[in-house]
Formats: sequence, structure tokens, C-alpha cells
Amino acid sequence: MAAIAEKLSRSVVGIAGLGGLGSNVAIALARAGVGKLIIADFDKVEQSNLNRQQYFVEQTGKSKVECMIENLRRVNPAVKVTGHRVKLDVDNIPQIFAATDCIAECFDTAGAKQMIVETALTKMNGVRIVSVSGLAGYGRSNDIKTRRISSRLVLVGDGQRGVDTCKILTAARVGVAAMHQANAILELLIDEIKP
Amino acid sequence: MGTLKINGKEETFADDKTPVTIADLLQELGVDAATVVAELDGQIVEKANFSDMSLHDGQRIELIRFVPGG
Repeated sequence: MAAIAEKLSRSVVGIAGLGGLGSNVAIALARAGVGKLIIADFDKVEQSNLNRQQYFVEQTGKSKVECMIENLRRVNPAVKVTGHRVKLDVDNIPQIFAATDCIAECFDTAGAKQMIVETALTKMNGVRIVSVSGLAGYGRSNDIKTRRISSRLVLVGDGQRGVDTCKILTAARVGVAAMHQANAILELLIDEIKP
Repeated sequence: MGTLKINGKEETFADDKTPVTIADLLQELGVDAATVVAELDGQIVEKANFSDMSLHDGQRIELIRFVPGG
């Protein structure tokens, strides 16, 4: 128990995107006692986000990074948080997340997901990435799986249900995927040494 | 005739249908290359090289497809 807490407190996790996945993953990892989170998003909190993202009504209109720093401080003030209010791309991802043990891919578009997974695996030494594909709609909780693709890549989701075909995102099903993602990250941090 | 192991499943192609590159294979499968991370025999192939990377009989290819939502 103490050994696990010690490992987690020495760990650094990058959260790429602070929407339905990222806001939930960040809070779960903060509660678990991960030592440092590097969070990044360019967007502001909107009314339409509140159906699934971990922000509050009075935070609408403010930057997600700023709001998440505040929310994480209220959840667990021991966690160190570095925020980057930027649009992540091929060039800045290796710099911003250089010091991380693991990255959580929490983007919304398929192209951005592809971009960060390819960047992490080809341009960053040893960093692991946990990515999500297929979390839209409702129900079918058990279709969401965690799969180990390689030593550095874990993929969560049902691989099928995108917001393009399912039309809706729900707090419940996005939450199932986000907790798979956070849980996979804890497993990597606790059980495995960064390759 | 050529055989590729795609996402763990053996797929056999007739001579004139055997995809020459990863880009050809994705086109054949009807998959948008912009949403795919590809691993050929355990090595990541960058999207920019999909049209240059030739496929050979017996290779193992993992296609990781992303759908939107997060």
C-alpha cells in the first residue's frame, strides 16, 4: 500500500485534452494520488460541455485549463499541476509531455487521436500512451474494452461507436471509457517501469 | 496470391487484388488513412509513409482505427 502510494506520488501523467475524457481522467488520477499532472487544452468551458465534463455552471466561459487547475486543487491539493493553454500538435507534444511517464489521449476528433498516438510512438522515447476509440452513445458498457496493443500503447473503447454515427455523448458512457483509461494508466504506473 | 495477417486475422488476396502498399490496403478496406495508426511487423509506420511502404506476403499488420468522441 505504501509502496504503491510512493510510486504514484513520483509519477507524472500528461492529459492531452480536457473534455469528457480528460476532465474525468485528471480527477481520477488526482484522487489516486498521482504526483504530477501536465494538462493541456486550448478551449473554454461551454454550457454544452456540462452534460459530461467535470466543470461547474459558474465556470462557463473560462479556460478549461484554468478551471481544471482549480477543480484539481479542491480535490487533492497535494497534486502538482502544470497547465498549457495551447492547441497540441506534432511539434509541441514532444516538448510539453517530455517529462511524463504516460500520456492520456483525450481528444475528440479521429484525426487528432491519430496524430498524438503516432507522435508519441515515433517522436518520444519510452513514453506510453493510453488512447480511446469508440465511446459514444449509451448502454453497452461491456463493449468498452482495454486492449494492450504494444509495450507503449493501450487502446480503450469499443472501436466502433463514434459521435459521428451515434450522435450523442453521455456522461455515463464517456465516464466508463475515462475510468478504463485512468485504470489502465494506474496499472502502467504501478506495475511497469517506463521502457 | 498473397497473404497478410491483418489485426490477427489471415487475409488472402487474389494476385491482381493484392495491395501493394498500406495506402492501397486502406483503400481496399474503405478506411480513411487520416484516422489510422499502422504497425507493420511490430514497427510503427508513419501516416506520411503509407503510400511508400510496400507490403510483402506473410507480413503482420495492425491497423488501429480511431472514431471521434472524447
